[in-house]
Amino acid sequence: MTTTSFLDEIKSLIDEDQVIDSTKDNQPYGNSGHITIHPQTEQEICDILQYASNHHLLVNIAGAGSKRGFGGEMESANILLSLERYTGIVEHHAGDMTITVKAGTSFQEIQNYLKPYNQKIALDPFLPQQATIGGLIACNDSGPKRLGYGSARDAVIGLRIVYPDGKVIRSGGKVVKNVAGYDMNKLFIGSMGTIGVLSEITIKLRPVTKDETTMLITFPNHKIEEIKAFSIQLLDSMIEPICFELLNPELTEIFSGEKSFALLISFEDVEKSVQYQEEYLKKQIPKNAKMKKLKGEDSAHFWQAFYQLVPNALENPKNEKVKAAVKIGTVNVNIAPILKESSLIQDTCNVKIFGHGGLGHGIMQLYIDGAEVDVIDALKKLRSLAKMYNGYAVIRHLPFNLRKQIDTWGEKPSSFFLLEGIKEKIDPKRMLNRHRYVGGI
Amino acid sequence: MARKKIKSKDKHILALSTLVNHPSAILYEKEDLIAYDCDGFTIHKATPKAVVFPENTEQVAKIVKYCHDHSLPFLARGAGTGLSGGAIPLNGEVIISMVKMKKLLSVDLENRRAVVEPGFVNLKLTNTISDKGYYYAPDPSSQYCCTIGGNVAENAGGAHCLKYGVTTNHILGLEVVLPNGDVIEIGKNGIADEPGYDLLGLITGSEGTLGIVTKITVRILKNPESKQTVLAYFDKVEDGSQAVSDIISAGIVPAALEMMDKTAIEGVEAAAFPVGHPKDIEALLLIEVDGIEAGIGEQIEQILQVCRNQNVREVRAAKDEQERAAWWANRKTGFGAMGAISPDYLVQDGVIPRSKLPEVLSKINKISEESGLRIANIFHAGDGNLHPLVLFDARIPGETEKAMEAGSACLKVCADVGGTITGEHGVGIEKREEMRFVFKDEEIQAQTDIRDVFNPDNLLNAGKLFPTPGRCAEVKKEMKAAAIS
Repeated sequence: MTTTSFLDEIKSLIDEDQVIDSTKDNQPYGNSGHITIHPQTEQEICDILQYASNHHLLVNIAGAGSKRGFGGEMESANILLSLERYTGIVEHHAGDMTITVKAGTSFQEIQNYLKPYNQKIALDPFLPQQATIGGLIACNDSGPKRLGYGSARDAVIGLRIVYPDGKVIRSGGKVVKNVAGYDMNKLFIGSMGTIGVLSEITIKLRPVTKDETTMLITFPNHKIEEIKAFSIQLLDSMIEPICFELLNPELTEIFSGEKSFALLISFEDVEKSVQYQEEYLKKQIPKNAKMKKLKGEDSAHFWQAFYQLVPNALENPKNEKVKAAVKIGTVNVNIAPILKESSLIQDTCNVKIFGHGGLGHGIMQLYIDGAEVDVIDALKKLRSLAKMYNGYAVIRHLPFNLRKQIDTWGEKPSSFFLLEGIKEKIDPKRMLNRHRYVGGI
Repeated sequence: MARKKIKSKDKHILALSTLVNHPSAILYEKEDLIAYDCDGFTIHKATPKAVVFPENTEQVAKIVKYCHDHSLPFLARGAGTGLSGGAIPLNGEVIISMVKMKKLLSVDLENRRAVVEPGFVNLKLTNTISDKGYYYAPDPSSQYCCTIGGNVAENAGGAHCLKYGVTTNHILGLEVVLPNGDVIEIGKNGIADEPGYDLLGLITGSEGTLGIVTKITVRILKNPESKQTVLAYFDKVEDGSQAVSDIISAGIVPAALEMMDKTAIEGVEAAAFPVGHPKDIEALLLIEVDGIEAGIGEQIEQILQVCRNQNVREVRAAKDEQERAAWWANRKTGFGAMGAISPDYLVQDGVIPRSKLPEVLSKINKISEESGLRIANIFHAGDGNLHPLVLFDARIPGETEKAMEAGSACLKVCADVGGTITGEHGVGIEKREEMRFVFKDEEIQAQTDIRDVFNPDNLLNAGKLFPTPGRCAEVKKEMKAAAIS
């Protein structure tokens, strides 16, 4: 079927101004569509998918588009289903501390809405202003505060999902504790849009704490082993940090001007508790380490800048230089040696690597700048490094042409046949985000 | 060592007996099987074909493969404390008991994890690591005897999941024997966010229908620096409910927020751990806050004030650890305590949006009046998880059926206010038909589609969790009647 022939038919399903011919769009990150459709209701999403399914059309799904560089072997599908205009709060029960939102709503917009109620979603994704809630849940994004907050799988309690054939399936519910049937929510969190379009998302909320503080401790003259030992000792103490993140020297330099490893530690609690933990921390820090306290506005600005650092598909690649982002998962304290060794890769590959990782949760983010060939080389070396520590490396941002040179997800897991079985059951025509996920699912 | 002879002539029993260590590791005679005809849900009973006791993953895999190759239905069983009938051998299953796989394989304090075999008892983990300052958070009331494997199957909760989450939030990795005998490892090395659909999350809470878990990596937590518990007595249930809402609205996240009503209090006071609660109050709240010591006092003061604002009759914090422990022992034996005031009881497990508590309680009262059966209420009020306990006497003809109907009616009330039919006990056999209160046919189909990926022959724990396709309420009634007779 040619683009023009189904364009007219699509326009009979949905308002003309919601359909755009995007054949000629220059999309350096791929995952686009010959036509872009902007549904504004769930029914429209259903209609489009049903149409696509009946006509064997391929559909890519996007939110704000910040993660278009995350996986995918297809430059363009027949349709790009953009949820950017499918926004808004469906319901918020302040007393029950739950909220239901449409998938295209930006994360920050939801947090802003909740602020007057002293409530929040306990997640700290990157690019909160731009990223849509649907997109960040489909990609299972999380930031350094996951140590205290948990991740999307801990926050999402219910979903409305539009299946590839256009039917709506609900998973979970609207209560915070629920074991009725399989926990289907989990299947869709992090599924990269390969088995359904997230329509409405119900999330449990947490109160905004009365006080919070962030400390940046720099270690100008310390070996990584000393920082690791210090961290283990601190984590074993009574303190309850929300964030306990190790920053590499390149990243620390951006925030403190000092090129050294640093620890980023946050507390959120009632005032007395936060103060007490701060005081405790001050007494523990080793000689020559420097501690900078970020409070109120300073802290807000710091975090805002921090979450914007991640290379993403909303910025266009410049010159011959490319940016890449990789997520490494490892056993918690291995963050320290991996971060240290990634610095060596930086030198051998002639790239710049900015990195941070949580010593309490084992997830690390590395941002790489360099020439194409060097970046690919660095990514390969980082993947081997992660493997050496029994971990994995997932490339969460890379231009489309380079994604052909290195697999986004790495090796297939031993349970791959089950993943494939799930895809086959839900999306037998393989029409949604084809080849976007592990092992080409 | 010479093998003791197996008396059975059944070829499957003989074959299965060669797959375990010793002839005593298989039970097949009728008198031995009686103990396995039900779990904590005692209304329904069925006899297994045999019970086998493997000691390692390899044996489990061989037994499963044998059952698979010979089309023998089978299921896994832990301590048998499940409350919804998930381990009842409806189809004359071969029961694979996990109780001999009970080792603690490793503890890694630096990385906050422990690896256990499925038969390892929940509370033993905390007891083993508490001297080092750590604990395992999920704490179902049966934690002194239930197994972590069973907890994974049911996605068990407990009193403290308001702040810390349920089992699924604490599972980092699993080794699973699939229904064809293949062994897979998911959440390798307990590393978070392994690429691929979240099979960990899917298998946890799948009630033993997707695979048999043979090794579990769990998250362990650092003991909070301090804990404090408050006990409050209310003359009106509405006041107690409002206090629950106000505590949450004040921005406090208690570690636990429990409530008991008058009938429940009568029960716990007549049972093994009475603490002298007054008998004429309508509601009792047990509220626990934990965390950094410096911040606890302020929160306790706030909680006391909230209760006072809601006409509390008496409210105070525990004076010492001994008193705190006594209050909790009294609460944790709550279900069993019903035995002191009623010959039989049926536990339900609905969840509601917290704000609907007064409305739902008055509807449950109405169900009690209409059925003529007393209903005690014990609940995790903070997360809206109710446990209506329907008291009845099975010796009176028709009363068991009446109790089941009343229990089901309570769940309907929960579902109708936007809640669900089970928060932590699972669907099992008991609530199969009630699944229709919350899911449409195609949503149930979406779930059985996933089951078919793992368990295509449906030999593993068949007949659980899902309603009979296309049947109507009439059939459900018949089924329940048959179960009772």
